[in-house]
Amino acid sequence: MKDQIKTFISEITFIEKDTIADDTLLFEEGIFDSMGLLSLITFLDEELGVKTEDSDLNEENFQSINSIVAFLERKKSLVN
Amino acid sequence: MSEQKFTKEIIRLSDTQNTIDSIVAKLKEDVIKVLRRRGGVVGISGGIDSSVTLALAVKAFGAKNVLGVMLPEKDSSDDSKALALKLADKFGVRVVEENISGALEGFGCYQRRDEAVKRVIPEYNPQTDKMKIGIPVEFLNSNMPPVFYVTVIFADGTEKSERLPMNEYLQIVAASNFKQRSRMSMLYYHAEALHYAVIGTPNKHEVQQGFFVKYGDGGADVMPIGNLFKTQVYELARELGVPQEIIDRTPTTDTYTAEQTQEEFFYQMPFETMDLLWYGWENGFSPEEVAMGIEKDEQEISRIFKNFERKKKTTDYLRMPPIHNY
Repeated sequence: MKDQIKTFISEITFIEKDTIADDTLLFEEGIFDSMGLLSLITFLDEELGVKTEDSDLNEENFQSINSIVAFLERKKSLVN
Repeated sequence: MSEQKFTKEIIRLSDTQNTIDSIVAKLKEDVIKVLRRRGGVVGISGGIDSSVTLALAVKAFGAKNVLGVMLPEKDSSDDSKALALKLADKFGVRVVEENISGALEGFGCYQRRDEAVKRVIPEYNPQTDKMKIGIPVEFLNSNMPPVFYVTVIFADGTEKSERLPMNEYLQIVAASNFKQRSRMSMLYYHAEALHYAVIGTPNKHEVQQGFFVKYGDGGADVMPIGNLFKTQVYELARELGVPQEIIDRTPTTDTYTAEQTQEEFFYQMPFETMDLLWYGWENGFSPEEVAMGIEKDEQEISRIFKNFERKKKTTDYLRMPPIHNY
């Protein structure tokens, strides 16, 4: 899952996959803006089956690859 | 730490008349000598920015060399025309009205926008309901990039808001931008027919934060208030004698069918506060200095400064001319 997310971010930002660390701050480093975030939300919904609710939209869930993975795991555990 | 103390008065113009004189002198020099045009065309909406711009143009070129163009379309506010006419009358300029609704219908502006809204809120009926898009204020208090929501106000007064997915957000914005770009085309028609320049109306916040449409309201030959904070635009308005109703009017976007202030749509804070914070950020004041000067929370100011930095960076594209040095 982590690799899938990293590949997706790399594809939409045109940034080499290897240069995005698991704890890189995606917003602070300027890798992701509003469009990146919206693309990611669509990707999580369509490819990974995870819907992002309005209340999920916070830094804790989206600021890095690690945060996104943790968010997805929490969401999936709620469903199961 | 900066040497100057940060206070609420820091952005007040020390000599408003002097500021007017210096803008007018440069405007005249730029249009007549640099651009070699013999007057100016200003799109007037009855708002404060276009009113001050028109008044400055009149001072620079004389009323007989300025044309005011009203550019309403079917979503425009009814007040705009009356105020724009009052302004033109006050400054003695010729005024023409060009309704751009037909052009927008031709471009499919309304249809493309409404299609996207309906994909998110299927109950939306463009014939009877009103719509707007905006950023919830919560985003100001986080380091997250903002996302837009669409709100439909149904005929019975009830409202429904939904977060916009990327494709729908982009389609609504792209379709709505036909409005500013059609206005720009019409302004250039009149400017070219008279051998005038197009005098743009964006203020400093609009330019710096990217609150304009590239080749729309951002398409102009000169922008005389492009370096003025909104507070300063109001100071000039009073000095120039802009009608009081225009000064008292709340700045709106006048873009979507539902009424919406600029604060609600984009800035997320009153312009007085925005001016001070942007000034502080731009001039290297620390969040601590600004917090002391305007009695706000330092952490909140740090977050807002980060948002400014991001906004400036993500909107660089809008301010860039075509890249041609290949």
